[in-house]
Amino acid sequence: MAVPTLLAPAENHASVQMVLVTAENKERQVFRLIGSKTESLFLQRLNPRKISWTQVYRRMHKKGITEEVAKKRSRRTVKRQRDVVGATLEAIRDKRNQKPEVREAARLEALKAAKEKKRAEAAKKKAEKAKVTQVSNRGQQKISKQQARGVQAKASAKSR
Amino acid sequence: MIQLKTVLNVIDNSGALLAECIRVGHGGRYGRIGDSMTVVIRKARPIPQNVSGPQASSSSLLAAKIAIRKGEVRKALIVRVAKEMRRPDGRYIKFDDNACVLLNNRGEPLGTRVLGVVGAELRGKKWGKIVSLAPKVV
Repeated sequence: MAVPTLLAPAENHASVQMVLVTAENKERQVFRLIGSKTESLFLQRLNPRKISWTQVYRRMHKKGITEEVAKKRSRRTVKRQRDVVGATLEAIRDKRNQKPEVREAARLEALKAAKEKKRAEAAKKKAEKAKVTQVSNRGQQKISKQQARGVQAKASAKSR
Repeated sequence: MIQLKTVLNVIDNSGALLAECIRVGHGGRYGRIGDSMTVVIRKARPIPQNVSGPQASSSSLLAAKIAIRKGEVRKALIVRVAKEMRRPDGRYIKFDDNACVLLNNRGEPLGTRVLGVVGAELRGKKWGKIVSLAPKVV
């Protein structure tokens, strides 16, 4: 049985009267006793919880000023708004505060514009192609590449 | 306060277990930590018979080589005493038993290990080897 409160604090050697090395368990332990009174009590194996002047007793029976061990508070992350790389705070806030309808409208608008653009492009392409074919077809028969090399035209099948 | 007839524990692996003081080395009345003395072995570990076998461990081989037997007379060094003694800082220190380590005639430890706490008083008294072998010095 270790009797910590009958002992001097391990660091405070000035108050140590007696160093006792005993085999309490299997290991030999060092007990630093502060005087003959505590040494006697220690050797009698008295329980410090039952000796009224010890720290342990006083703590147990709530004598004197009790120091409540403050509960540890966990750190909480605090949210804060600030500018990010390219966007100012106002821009972000505007974007966040948009109403869903507005957003929907904007999206439709964008979609429409994109479609329009695509259609326009397609029309342009078509026109160009038509022009090219017109130019190339003018004045000459349609000749396959093989014919151009001098190969006779393939006879088209007349029966199955 | 080790004197004639004091029985001490032997805390090395020499094979002896208990030793009785028959003379304190320095010629004074009582021996303390760091004093050598002459002892007679009161109790020793049994010496294994088949030490030459392949299973013989190093410790048993050692015991066979030294072969401490009951009734032998040996030199020994006091490493713990139950009598409190004063340290330079004003404290007193005492152990709960008396203990020694066996020595050969040249004053070197017989065993290769020290198996318990020894007093720090050995440091100043040319017993550095035993201090370094000990698991703890108080």
